[in-house]
Amino acid sequence: MSTVITRTTARVVVPIIFLTAIALLLQGHNKPGGGFIAGVLTSTGFGLLYLVYSIDFVEETVLGGSISKEFQHLQNSIVADYRIIFGLGLLLSLVSGIVPILFGLPFLSQTVVFIKHVPIYHELELASAVIFDLGVYFVVVGALLSIISVVGAE
Amino acid sequence: MVSVETVIYVIVFLPFFGAIGALLLFRYLGEQIAYFCASIALVCFLGVLRLGTILKNSGPMQTTVPWIPAFDIAMRFYIDGLALLIALLASGVGILIFVFSRGYMHGESKLQRYYIILLIFMGSMIGIAFAGDLIVLFVFWELTSLSSFGLIGHYTESRSARYAARKSMLITVGGGLFLLVGFLLLGTSMNSYNLVWLLNHSTAVQKTLKSKNIYTIVVLLIGIGAAAKSAQFPLHIWLPNAMEAPTPVSAFLHSATMVKAGVYLVGRFRPILLNDAQIWTFTFAILGIVTMTVMAALAVVATDIKELLAYSTASHLGLIIAAFGFGSAVGGETGSLHILNHAAFKATLFLVAGIVAHQTGTRNLNDLSGLYKDLPITAGIATIAAFGMAGVPPFNGFYSKELFFEATVEFATHNRPIMWLFPFFAVIGSIFTFLYSIRFAGMFYGKKPEELGNIYRPSKSMLLPAGLLTLAVLVLSFIPQVITNIIVQHVFHSISLTPSHHMSVHLPTKLSPAVIMSLITIGVGVLLYPQYQRIQSVINTILSIRYITVDWWYERFIFGINHVSGIVTPIIHNGLLRTYAFWIVGATTVISLVAYILTGIDIPQFTGITITIPLLLILLVAIGAVMAIMIAPSHIAGVMTLSILGFMIAIFYILVSAPDLALTQLVVETLTFIIFLLVLDRLPAYYGDIPPGRAFRDGILSISVGALVFTTVLLATKAQPADKIADYFIKFSVPKGGGGNIVNVILVDFRALDTLGEISVIAMAGISILTLIAMRTGSEQP
Repeated sequence: MSTVITRTTARVVVPIIFLTAIALLLQGHNKPGGGFIAGVLTSTGFGLLYLVYSIDFVEETVLGGSISKEFQHLQNSIVADYRIIFGLGLLLSLVSGIVPILFGLPFLSQTVVFIKHVPIYHELELASAVIFDLGVYFVVVGALLSIISVVGAE
Repeated sequence: MVSVETVIYVIVFLPFFGAIGALLLFRYLGEQIAYFCASIALVCFLGVLRLGTILKNSGPMQTTVPWIPAFDIAMRFYIDGLALLIALLASGVGILIFVFSRGYMHGESKLQRYYIILLIFMGSMIGIAFAGDLIVLFVFWELTSLSSFGLIGHYTESRSARYAARKSMLITVGGGLFLLVGFLLLGTSMNSYNLVWLLNHSTAVQKTLKSKNIYTIVVLLIGIGAAAKSAQFPLHIWLPNAMEAPTPVSAFLHSATMVKAGVYLVGRFRPILLNDAQIWTFTFAILGIVTMTVMAALAVVATDIKELLAYSTASHLGLIIAAFGFGSAVGGETGSLHILNHAAFKATLFLVAGIVAHQTGTRNLNDLSGLYKDLPITAGIATIAAFGMAGVPPFNGFYSKELFFEATVEFATHNRPIMWLFPFFAVIGSIFTFLYSIRFAGMFYGKKPEELGNIYRPSKSMLLPAGLLTLAVLVLSFIPQVITNIIVQHVFHSISLTPSHHMSVHLPTKLSPAVIMSLITIGVGVLLYPQYQRIQSVINTILSIRYITVDWWYERFIFGINHVSGIVTPIIHNGLLRTYAFWIVGATTVISLVAYILTGIDIPQFTGITITIPLLLILLVAIGAVMAIMIAPSHIAGVMTLSILGFMIAIFYILVSAPDLALTQLVVETLTFIIFLLVLDRLPAYYGDIPPGRAFRDGILSISVGALVFTTVLLATKAQPADKIADYFIKFSVPKGGGGNIVNVILVDFRALDTLGEISVIAMAGISILTLIAMRTGSEQP
């Protein structure tokens, strides 16, 4: 899969994929998108990198991890990071659910605040649901990347 | 002043928090953790005493925290005499057991696990006692089974301990499931799981259950649950094996508390379900008396001191169950008193057994004799407790046995002559009890065999708990009326239909049938004791016919199941993915289709179809792609063609204006494609020709799956409720969720709990795959 064409294409396409994913994540509350879609899209970007540049290249050169040869797929520092990512995501979603309880609201209540008169955007919406969605995003990214890298390393 | 609610919650939940504390503190305290656990038990014990004084002044108390209001299930606690007695035993004996463990478990490994499970057990046992709701009761009930499993299997390296743990788990948890069904039947037919409500409406409960013809079933189901837990015949077989556990555990769980849970259950439901239709009496009186006699006989032939005590425990629990089975007041009195009496002398005897085994290194009754010189205090303790167990006046077991004889005679005189079998078997069982009790105490007397060698005195932390329990036996023996007034009277109130009755416990003053039965018991016992070995050989001869032993059937059953799964598993799980898929998909299809046919579905009339030209084009391309997959020359081509199908579906979503679905479909499709590309070079390029038989089989399967999905879609879209939930979402998405994307608002707000569950599943899937790949051994299977 690693040809000049795919390398060049991937170099151009992958940043766009990541940017789109973040856009989808942030606009998800009002327009098509959301944590799940953004998570899958991010994983797709990584998948493409793995496919084109090989897993070792991505993890050693791009992300700066070190790979020990024994139990490569597990000891791999990056894979451990992925696990942390989805643990973190799960925690984030849970905490965003528990915080409302402190305010006397039911578990997982969401609220929204509009901030007016912001430069450029004019009106900015801050929805607490975005935090929950961010948790979803991290779980999806972490789990999918763990799977892809483990399967890819095989 | 602390409120009653707080005291109750502290007693129930402190042991669980204590377990977490033990987990954290173990590395600092080491073996001293025993005293930490004992202090937790002490706090619970003091709390129970506090509740006792409140009960005396103002009667039973209850608390409620809502849990599932739709089903009237709540975290209810109800405290009356019976609940307090069981909690008193759990916490009181608990203190002594923790202290005893300090000496007994000295120098052993896995102590942290041991103490944590023991604390969890204590909390669950108190939970059972205090539960005021059927579901809460069931949850704690199963928790005790689980902790018992962990404690029996404490010596994980021992094969027999693992066998024993599994056996007890199968039987007690299995029995618990029967209990659950009984509870659900009771709860749904009465529309309440509230124990207090049921207790106050016993007539209505019986009437409703009878009108629905489920009264007998409910009684039997609860009976099975109780029998499994309290080791009643023929579900007793796990208890002798459970003696694999460390002796403090046997003393705590398998004599004083956990096995009392079944008895407690029978006592708890006695006022609700006991009536004059005699189903209750027949179920429990017969179950109890059979257990009492058979187990006493088995205890006589036991050669292991702990095994002897195990059978004896089952036998005494049989006595209590039988007593609760009789509807009479004296029956209730017997049960209430004997719960306490039995816990006192049996826990003492188990500690004695622990001391003997710990100091001599053997538990074989035939090797033990003449221990009184080396263990004088233990010998005194054992003698007192054994006399209590034998029912020799004036020791404590005598009083409850007298009451039991009285109950059987009273029942027999008011019923058909055949009922005189009850007093008859009561005496037979008691004679056996007398024999094995004396035999147990006998190991301290006579001549000490040479092989035992030097025996050292037990440590104080082992002797002290046994001494305190002996004190309890003596108190129960010499001032029974005082204890009866303080505790047993209240227990009797909670299990009885006639609470006004006043109990009186004292030595007999005149010659009644019960006194004559006691005299026969002791007289025949003394006469037969010299023939002990002959009696043993008679019983052993009977037991040598293995078909009559329950254990033989249990083994047959378990190995039979193993054998069957050994045959079935290779057929379903032969390591080939396509076989797995065939069975899973096939089974789902068959079950669903059969369910559709049985419930009589009607497929909606075909009313013509309206389709736009773009949609038609998309669907045609999709069908074309499906056709192309089947003739694809390589894997890459196949996967790419499959992607065409996926992208067509995405376009379909766009056309029916579902942009979120379309987006998801697109990215998932892309990701799947990439994953496929990652693994494709690992697959063989060519699988060989598919045999026509398998092609035919797979074809049939595909067609039925297609038919199933088609039918399901037709059925699912047919139902159009008048009040669409979509309208609610559309209306409230912006005002309540603050988002214009309804799908997303549903995901993160309206149905956020579902999403939370789903992302947990995603995380679990990730972990599972990591684990599966990590666990795989180096060799690659083709």
